[in-house]
Amino acid sequence: MSRRPEWRSWRRTLKVTRVGRTYLVITVGVGLGALNTGNNLLYLVLGFLLAIIVLSGVLSERVIADLKVRRMLPEGAFAQEPFALRYEVTRKQGRAFAVRISEAGGVLAGWAWVPTVLAGQPVVARADMVAPRRGPLRLGEVQISTLFPFGLFEKTRTFPLDETLLVWPRRGFTCEPPDADHGHQTGELGNQRHRDGSGDVQGLRELGDLEDARGVHWKKSATAGKLLKVEREREDRKQYTLRIGSEVPGDQLERDCEETAALTSRLLAEGNDVGLEAGGRRIRPASGPGHERRILSALAVLGYAIPERKP
Amino acid sequence: MNLAPRRALRLRLRDLAAASSFAAVALSGSLPSYVTVLFLASLVLSLAGRRPFASRPVWSVLLLLGMAVIVFGLAFRGVIDLVIAAVSFATLVTGQRMLSEPSPGTDQQVLLASLLLMAGAAALSGDVWFALCLLSFGVFACLSLGLAVVEGPVERDEDLPLAPVMRQVSIGVAIALVGGISFFILFPRLSWNVAARRTGPGLLGGTTGMTDRVRLGGGGDIKTSARVVLRAKLEPNPGKERLERYWVGRHFDSFDGREWRGTGTPGEAKPRVMLGDPSQATIQRIELLPAYESRTLVGLEHPVYFGPASALNNGGTTQAMLIRVGDEEVRFAEDANAYTYTAQSRADYPMLEDDEAKLAPLTRLPETLDPRVTALAQRVAGDARDPEQIGRRLENWLRNNLEYTLALPGEVDDPLSDFLFVRKAGHCEHFATALAVMLRTRGVPSRVVGGFFGGELVGNRYVVRAGDAHAWVEAYSPVRGWVTLDATPDDGRGSRPQALIARLVNTYEQLEELWRSRVVDYSIIDQWNFVRGLIRPPNNAGAGDDERPEPTASRTRTPTRAIVVALAAALLTWVVWQRLTRRRAATHPAADFLGELERKLQEAQIAFLPGEDIEQLPQRLRRQHHRLAEPIGRASRRYLEARFGGRPLSKAERRELLNALSGVPRSG
Repeated sequence: MSRRPEWRSWRRTLKVTRVGRTYLVITVGVGLGALNTGNNLLYLVLGFLLAIIVLSGVLSERVIADLKVRRMLPEGAFAQEPFALRYEVTRKQGRAFAVRISEAGGVLAGWAWVPTVLAGQPVVARADMVAPRRGPLRLGEVQISTLFPFGLFEKTRTFPLDETLLVWPRRGFTCEPPDADHGHQTGELGNQRHRDGSGDVQGLRELGDLEDARGVHWKKSATAGKLLKVEREREDRKQYTLRIGSEVPGDQLERDCEETAALTSRLLAEGNDVGLEAGGRRIRPASGPGHERRILSALAVLGYAIPERKP
Repeated sequence: MNLAPRRALRLRLRDLAAASSFAAVALSGSLPSYVTVLFLASLVLSLAGRRPFASRPVWSVLLLLGMAVIVFGLAFRGVIDLVIAAVSFATLVTGQRMLSEPSPGTDQQVLLASLLLMAGAAALSGDVWFALCLLSFGVFACLSLGLAVVEGPVERDEDLPLAPVMRQVSIGVAIALVGGISFFILFPRLSWNVAARRTGPGLLGGTTGMTDRVRLGGGGDIKTSARVVLRAKLEPNPGKERLERYWVGRHFDSFDGREWRGTGTPGEAKPRVMLGDPSQATIQRIELLPAYESRTLVGLEHPVYFGPASALNNGGTTQAMLIRVGDEEVRFAEDANAYTYTAQSRADYPMLEDDEAKLAPLTRLPETLDPRVTALAQRVAGDARDPEQIGRRLENWLRNNLEYTLALPGEVDDPLSDFLFVRKAGHCEHFATALAVMLRTRGVPSRVVGGFFGGELVGNRYVVRAGDAHAWVEAYSPVRGWVTLDATPDDGRGSRPQALIARLVNTYEQLEELWRSRVVDYSIIDQWNFVRGLIRPPNNAGAGDDERPEPTASRTRTPTRAIVVALAAALLTWVVWQRLTRRRAATHPAADFLGELERKLQEAQIAFLPGEDIEQLPQRLRRQHHRLAEPIGRASRRYLEARFGGRPLSKAERRELLNALSGVPRSG
């Protein structure tokens, strides 16, 4: 994407709201009435109406001119699912009211609302955004809009704020899980890799959402008030390695990514280890939220050319 | 402020804005009474928080449509004016929206409908009340809109500081008003003010009591009324604060023992009526207000000409035709809310009658006349033969021997005898009747005149109050014509309003005068004078332009001076603005606390190391196990939170933090 010229950071757009349109129609009507009849009281009303229009422009400019916005990006976000994007808004002097912050160009659907910003007091506003597609999403510009003071016009200031959001695949449809990696679950009885859930008790942990309830330690769970699963010397986790064959960008790849993302979440929630082989990259099976994000991030960039990170 | 009180405040402001615009229309008196009642009911319900239409939106719209059919049907049939119908419908729409489910959208609809009402009021009325209503509408509407905007698209029950919003919007409204006035002054007038309805019928109706007959009996309540019924601009202007002259309305020439009436026959309607030679006459630009409520034209004594007249009605301003009713009166051909016309009068005009036969009826006496009246007249007139001399003697006798009173309870059979021989007190109608009848007993033709006495200078116009209504007598002298005689004691001629009310009315009249001259009648000529005054201010305010031409050199220098003054004013404004904004930027509340904290540190002889900031200082002090490390750490942390973390520091907390640093022994 080409870089925008500097002057465009100062650009403003003005949109007339619905009530503003009616207001303008009434103003034109009063103006025509005043010109036709010469009624001075209509001139007085017209003067007031026009002054309100000018004042709207001046006050709205004061609101958005001195605002500074910083994005607080999450590690990633699922495509077509709402996620929280936070903006920190500050201003050095004066006050700002009724500020609406959104991403320019509609790259993310949604906006944040800030009722008031006082000088020297940063405000963090949350926006419920929705990213349209998987992949690294470049957020180039931020729009600050305000309806202040009277809601007749919406003035918008657009300025560059270049950052990239990693959009994970949408978690939609899941099919039957693939076969577990048998090789890792066989072997001699005394082998640590023989995952049959036997051996001495090593500890207790909270039961995952989709995990088998047969491993619950009922007495301890009753004491703690939550379901606790027994962890033994030899784990009983199954291991799955999910694979995506095609790397050609297109609908098939998107469907594969979405299915893999959904499977990853489901298998991990069931207490399994999940790995990934895709795009010439291999992630060993493991579990935990950090591992899920690693797989999702790998899926997010699949098919997109991104610069290699230097060691 | 949380959501519930915030919403209540917004709705209250919205309703007040709607009430202001409604007041502007209602004070013109043009609105049908049922529309007024319906809107007032809506306003009361809305202010009480009752919104019956919230759950019945369809029914309310159908009701509104029904009202629209009625209102515009009446307009179609010519019962009411189209503008009034439109304003009435806008009023009903405003009321309907006020009683609907409240939301920012509904609020905006209420305010837009109210704005239409303001525009309608501008077309219906020219009173000074309009300015007040426009001002209050602007303030309330802008504040309500500002609150709705800050509330945002979704109402959230969170604490919002509204004071800064209100302050900012209020300053904005003040600037908008100044801008609106500037626009009003400078926008070039491309047409003359032809369609303005300067006067509505008003809410109070008429009070003068000017009728086609004068009936004796009853009190004189009207004398206490301070309402202004007539405004007149005189040329040449006498310049006197109190004019103390007679304003002639109509003549009454027939008396039946109880009431006076006129016997004139109406002529044909004309745009002008000439009663005498108008050369060197006093010209009067007269405005009869709704309080007058009569069709009789009034002019200073003796009117010789009534000129082009305009009738101010709900339908606008139209030319009014005049009808001369014998020698009795000149009246307007049609009813109207108010009238404007020109009259010319000559106080010294010889009102001689060409036709002697006209005088015969003016000596007729009522058949039931008490003989004591004739005897009294004969006794008082004595040996006088000249009609004017007879009149003066009778006038003096009545004035000196009878009392003026407004308290005349009850009805009597013969009010004249009762006045002269029983009560020996009465008001102007009794004095005038007694004088006229006594003159007639002496064979002098006489008639009673109804009108006003007085005139008070307000601004550059004279005003006449309802309480100035008066009756006096004209007696005919073959030498001097009609001579004015007034037997009423001096203190009974003018109005007798309460001092406070009179002062209030005068203040209102001054405002009204200012409003009319500077706003309602503002024209392109005034604009030209204003601009010329800016560019070329007169060197001597006392001398007129024509009397004292300015030197050429001065004319060329003055615009430069004006430009320099304007530039200096702009520079001064900019400097003041810069100062104000800089001071506001520098005075963050937490910054003051930091200053006090640093002063405390100096007192405790704790110094910053080079490059050390307030965050690092307590860390160093902790490492050194300094006894003030903890209180300084707390204070510095609270300062940083208040300055950058959005957690304001209360006065009590500030005092506590600083006190923790006081009274501690100085560190070594």
